[in-house]
Amino acid sequence: MKTSIQVFGACLLVLTISLATPKWRVQAAPPLVSKASAIQVLMIQSDEIKLPVEFQISLYEHLIQQLEKKGGFQHVYRDGDKNAAGVADLVVLHSTVRGFKKGSEMARQVTTVTGETSIDVHCQFTDKDGKSVLESDLNGKVMFFGGNLRATFDFAKKAAKLAHDNFVAKSGS
Amino acid sequence: MRWPSWNVSIGFVLLLFSALAVPSLAQQATDRVNVVHVVGLRGVKENAKGTLTVENGNLRFVDSKAKAVVATTAIEDVVTGNESQRMIHGSVGTLTMFAPYGGGRFLSLFRSKLDTLTIQYRDSDGGLHGAIFTMAVGKAEPLKKLLVAQGAHTSTPLQDSSSGSTPKTDAAREQKP
Repeated sequence: MKTSIQVFGACLLVLTISLATPKWRVQAAPPLVSKASAIQVLMIQSDEIKLPVEFQISLYEHLIQQLEKKGGFQHVYRDGDKNAAGVADLVVLHSTVRGFKKGSEMARQVTTVTGETSIDVHCQFTDKDGKSVLESDLNGKVMFFGGNLRATFDFAKKAAKLAHDNFVAKSGS
Repeated sequence: MRWPSWNVSIGFVLLLFSALAVPSLAQQATDRVNVVHVVGLRGVKENAKGTLTVENGNLRFVDSKAKAVVATTAIEDVVTGNESQRMIHGSVGTLTMFAPYGGGRFLSLFRSKLDTLTIQYRDSDGGLHGAIFTMAVGKAEPLKKLLVAQGAHTSTPLQDSSSGSTPKTDAAREQKP
């Protein structure tokens, strides 16, 4: 009886350790991407999808606004800015629109459940040499309040958070 | 006796036409258009209401709190479009959405059309900027023409985006034998 309890206890211990170890590994693993002091945002590309120019500009401008607002980067450079060339630890954000559904503000306000505007954007962060360091698909939506362009603001907030979480050095570390 | 009087009258008519024509050209260059700045101009808040003018090679936005100037030669693209918005918009419009018996939804059916003007331009460091404005219907195309006349570039030809009344008559005139 005593032996079976000991065996059960040992099994439980082994099970606990086996479950806990991968978690420790994940927590202890170093971040895959290096920190950057500056980010450059390139103009939104939409070669495959026909995106109205006001959405393209709104995506780009909101993205820059949100990155500046979020803080953490010493500089947020625009597409074509000559000053970005001198930054060693620069990260470059390439955004490509993969899906776009222009809804209707009137339909949203009248029916509540239809008229959603949605934009799917593939974000690729590269280093200065063009080597990809992080890729992610993000989405911007406007479901009820606001005009169609508000979807671009929703995307920009998510993209700025992604950049901040992955490339901005935390003050504690 | 008869010939000099004809000359005088023709001269008078020419003088009258030139007097009428000169102010209209000057007015065209300095016309102020009431616009809403949607996004893009540095130092100007989103949804700020102001006036847009095109003169002396500059696009100038002025509102009660801020102003922004963009050189027309720095503008790489000008595109016009159209949108619509609720007749009752802004904070009051949002509050009407909570009106009882679907009153807010009913009010959403009443909409006004708008023109949009989107520009892309470069700053002195080469950085790309974009700005979007909305304005009353029929105001965006003349602004675009003024910008292009003063050195701005556009990816969409003016003839395609305009109503086409003047180019059509010109084309028709050329086709006549």
